[in-house]
Amino acid sequence: MTKIVPVVLLVFYMVPVYAGCSIAGGKSLKPYDGVVSTDGFGPSGGCKDSWSREVSFIRHLISREDYRESLFLLERLEAETTRQLDSLNYLTGWVHYQKKSLELSAGYLLKVGNDSPVYQKSRFFAAYNFAHIGDAGKGREVLKRTDAGQDGLYHALQRLQLAGTALLERNLEQYRSYATDFSGNHHVTAAQEKQMEHHYNRLMDHRASSPFVAGVLSAAVPGLGKIYAGKPAEGVAGFLYVTALGLTAFDFYRGSGPDSVLFILSASAAGAFYVGNIVGSATAARRVNQEFNHEMDQRVLFDMHIPLRNAF
Amino acid sequence: MLSEGLYAQNEVLMKRADSLFASGKFFEASIAYERVYFEADDPVWRITANLKKARALKQLGEYEKAYRDLRRSMTFSGADTLRMELLYEMAFCAYMDGNPDEAFGLLQQFRHRYGQGSDQRVYLLEGLVLADLRQWDALSDHLEGWVLNMSGDQQMADEQLSHYTEILVRKDDQRQLDPEKARLWSTFIPGSGQLYAGETGWGVLNAFSQLASLGAFTAMALNGYYVAGVFAGLGPFQSFYFGGIRQAGLLAEENEKSRRDKTLAAVREFLFNLEEELNAE
Repeated sequence: MTKIVPVVLLVFYMVPVYAGCSIAGGKSLKPYDGVVSTDGFGPSGGCKDSWSREVSFIRHLISREDYRESLFLLERLEAETTRQLDSLNYLTGWVHYQKKSLELSAGYLLKVGNDSPVYQKSRFFAAYNFAHIGDAGKGREVLKRTDAGQDGLYHALQRLQLAGTALLERNLEQYRSYATDFSGNHHVTAAQEKQMEHHYNRLMDHRASSPFVAGVLSAAVPGLGKIYAGKPAEGVAGFLYVTALGLTAFDFYRGSGPDSVLFILSASAAGAFYVGNIVGSATAARRVNQEFNHEMDQRVLFDMHIPLRNAF
Repeated sequence: MLSEGLYAQNEVLMKRADSLFASGKFFEASIAYERVYFEADDPVWRITANLKKARALKQLGEYEKAYRDLRRSMTFSGADTLRMELLYEMAFCAYMDGNPDEAFGLLQQFRHRYGQGSDQRVYLLEGLVLADLRQWDALSDHLEGWVLNMSGDQQMADEQLSHYTEILVRKDDQRQLDPEKARLWSTFIPGSGQLYAGETGWGVLNAFSQLASLGAFTAMALNGYYVAGVFAGLGPFQSFYFGGIRQAGLLAEENEKSRRDKTLAAVREFLFNLEEELNAE
């Protein structure tokens, strides 16, 4: 009897080995389909074990940040079940996310079905990807169509993300409607809920510089428009340039009269600098507004991203 | 039985990877070798796969990645031949990735464990690393050891050293350019810093610009245009003056770098020629 047991065990192990799959768990004993298939990559059979081993190899590559290699294998992987297809789409989307190809990533992540264990993660990251590439509206739609329950972490995460997209769209009224659900009960979202409130207050308090006002001010006193736009050093420099050229023109006018070449040249230069300073002031006001908006977008996106990485 | 099965699996995977490499599909081969590394439990299979993967990555010019992958096998404590190969490949990849200091450290480990040896590749690599680090005296000793170990010919060693010294004298012992000195020259004599940096044209142009702007100021002031003289004469003058000082420093820096690059290129060429000569012997 004692001699029979090892023989039975050996047969138990070796049958699946030669059938192409291992039920011994872990590693297969048969030359692995993943390398000896037609093109040398990706399992050719429908064997569940060979699929999961190929996926664990791809996960290994992703963990090593070998994204090009991961995509190469994912493109050759053929899913035979819905679950496999979900894994395939999720992994492809995740690799694109890591590669910062956010639009592509969102496309794949949205294909993950709601039965998948990574459904919530895929939806949240797809929405974030849209928000990051400047399409907060699309991100909002994805979030709204995501089943995140009526309470719990995913619900809190969904409200935070929706609040973030509202801030990105500068829809402060909508933000307030989402912010009313901020509870501070989940440690994953609590700190960012406070941060979102802070961003909201900054956006509320911010008064944008008017390019028109900046231009008018610089027409009255060269450089004043830039000081109004929040660029005092540029304003002072502009004032000095225009004044210096004006005084030079005046000097030539005083000495040689209005018809002299030197006066015409220096007055033209002074005029060009004067007009340039007006245009520059209007541009500076626009630039300052853009800088503020960009900074706010980056801060909001950052605070949308942190809870996602902590939750998943 | 179980280990035989695993061995057979590794062997098939490795053969597949080797055939991809042999057919010039280096990217695919690098994945296939990584699969061997991933699947194998045996450290010898793993380090072998890692080394072969590094060769595939080298063909793709991905030295940084190859170096990163090879680091995984640093704890390998098996056969010396594999450890030697590992250290050499790591040093090579570090050097090719623009990190001669790291390569130097690895080669020191190599020498400490395995002595001088008779592998031309290691001598050449060490020579190149020393040249990159501009350790000219150490390179001179290294050259002597290399030639003597490979050929045993003292006369040949002396000839090569004399050739090497000649290159250094010709290329490296020329006057070295100090950017600070160039800036100092231009501070007191307009254009002289550029001349010091070997850029006569820029020196003359800068000196002329400064003189012309000062001349314009004088002419305007003499004709009663004091305000215009200050803004249209002295303004450009200060720009040419301070700009000239800055330019002199930058030109000295650039030319010094170019001179060093030329020296390095000449030494590298000499090292490659020496390797060929010793191989031919």
